[in-house]
Amino acid sequence: MELATESSTVGTGRDYTHLVQDYRVHGSLYSDPAVFADEMKRIFTDGWVFVGHESEIPDAGDWVARRLGAENVLMARTHDGEISVVANRCAHRGTTLCPQTEGNSRNFRCPYHAWTYDLDGTLLGAPFPKGFQNGKPDVRLDQPGQVDVYRGFVFANQSGAAGPLSEHLGPGGSDLIDRAADMSPTGRLQLNGGWLGQRADSNWKMWPESDNDGYHIIFAHESLAASLLAGSQYEDVILGGEGETSSVARDYGGGHVELDFRASYATELAWLGAPRSKVNAYCDDLEAAYGDDKAKQIMWDGPPHAFVFPNLFLGEMNIARIDPLAPGLTEHFHTPLLVESSDPGINRRVILQSEAAMGPASFFLPEDVVIAERMHRAFDTNPTDQHAWVDLRRGIEREQHSDGQRWSDITDETTSRGFWHHYRHVMSRIGEAAAASPNGSPGNGQG
Amino acid sequence: MSAVDGATHREIQEFLYHEAMLADESRYPEWLELVTDDIHYWVPAGDGDYEPGSRVSFLNDNRTRLATRITQLMSGRRYSQVPKSPMRRIISNIQVLAVHPDGDGDGGSADEYEVGSNFVLYEHAVQATNDMRIWVGRTTHRLRRTDEGLRIARKKIELVNSTSALPNMAFII
Repeated sequence: MELATESSTVGTGRDYTHLVQDYRVHGSLYSDPAVFADEMKRIFTDGWVFVGHESEIPDAGDWVARRLGAENVLMARTHDGEISVVANRCAHRGTTLCPQTEGNSRNFRCPYHAWTYDLDGTLLGAPFPKGFQNGKPDVRLDQPGQVDVYRGFVFANQSGAAGPLSEHLGPGGSDLIDRAADMSPTGRLQLNGGWLGQRADSNWKMWPESDNDGYHIIFAHESLAASLLAGSQYEDVILGGEGETSSVARDYGGGHVELDFRASYATELAWLGAPRSKVNAYCDDLEAAYGDDKAKQIMWDGPPHAFVFPNLFLGEMNIARIDPLAPGLTEHFHTPLLVESSDPGINRRVILQSEAAMGPASFFLPEDVVIAERMHRAFDTNPTDQHAWVDLRRGIEREQHSDGQRWSDITDETTSRGFWHHYRHVMSRIGEAAAASPNGSPGNGQG
Repeated sequence: MSAVDGATHREIQEFLYHEAMLADESRYPEWLELVTDDIHYWVPAGDGDYEPGSRVSFLNDNRTRLATRITQLMSGRRYSQVPKSPMRRIISNIQVLAVHPDGDGDGGSADEYEVGSNFVLYEHAVQATNDMRIWVGRTTHRLRRTDEGLRIARKKIELVNSTSALPNMAFII
């Protein structure tokens, strides 16, 4: 609780209840360094953040380097088989321990003075012990206050005060992750197909927006209408035009949102773009594992197209993470959603789909990047402009709600509003006091 | 030491320069004419020491997917290349690494040449940021001698920074 007290003293004076309104958000939220600093604290330190997947580090000593808010961390498998998340920063002088993106090590050894840490961050030793009281400095690698795993997805909460992961995910987020994990007949995904990174010179929040925007697809990605999309799984679900598909934009609360294509798929495995004959063994595996009814549902529904707040994108055949590096710099890493199945064909197809959809040379993501970068230019140049609002009103009058969920036509901005609604909640929990300060309005620039 | 005589080396070098010019100038249909029907066009992630398709790659195209890529670029609405990036690349360190007689295995006499080269590509990213971007890597071509002249049967591009998050690469690399 000491942490909560601390956070109330570091607010930058931005009034998030004013900057995030029900149908519009202020452009400075994308470009203002003070907003970014508040986000690093209130979202990425005080809240739960997706780090990686346990299948990436199957063996003792395996580790991957990750970003956790403003900190570089290592996610490792300890000698006891546990998952650890520790700072990739020597507790002595701060040297980066592992400059690579992944590896396998018996321990983490700093190149500077050879301080050596166990995979869980415990200091094993520092050379020349006589210079230290008790022969060893009383330090360890920093670690998040909480680490938890749901269906193999590893999350961390730096402050330790965010409450349980199950509360953060809620029924909506848990169900989305369940649907992704259930694509594997064993219920365990195997995210070992490598990560590809896409750099965007834009703010990170354009990713939860564009990854989950059902309105832009036939326009921003129009160049595919004549080629890749025609006859593909997307023809039915997004090319129909307003009111002509059964796809739905959903807001589950908690910032978790989905473009729900399920009702639009005209055949089983439409999401895979292949008939059952091409992946028979996979379908048999699903039936053997789940029974005919649930297997059939999985084969029809496919993996979700959804966002789990604040940085996990379940992008159908891809799992993606969003790393905010600066107000105007974001990295979007994705890995194919690989499953455990006796059918080698399923993962081969998933990798091909992954390569088509995401990455800097793919058929989809480059358009989203260039649009995010153009949006960012608009707000980067006018951070204090009182007129620089982003309009998100589409469908607000016709969306439906029940039991804490909202949904509307696939082309409605229900998903963006869902993200921002939760963003406002998180960002203004302590911002209400700050709003009374003279620096509370966007017109006052850098506070 | 080259695996071919001087005249063949010059022919291969001229071919690579021609291909580079078409790619720099985004002359997609002309560029596509330089590739065989069984082309494999690959930009691996990392070292490229894996089987294409076993892990995710930046590009892993057969002829069909490559043709789709060109169709998309030609649509005028591939916004990541509207306007097209002005580009120039320098090709150097050209080495003919091996000659494979009857490389396509059809029993004929067509040779295939395994050619390594380095490149530095300057791209003016005019679509949003106006950055000058620099792409650096090693290309391995498999060139096949056909009735129409040399054609590209395989092209593998290993970027030096392929483990990093990369900006848009929607042009012909």
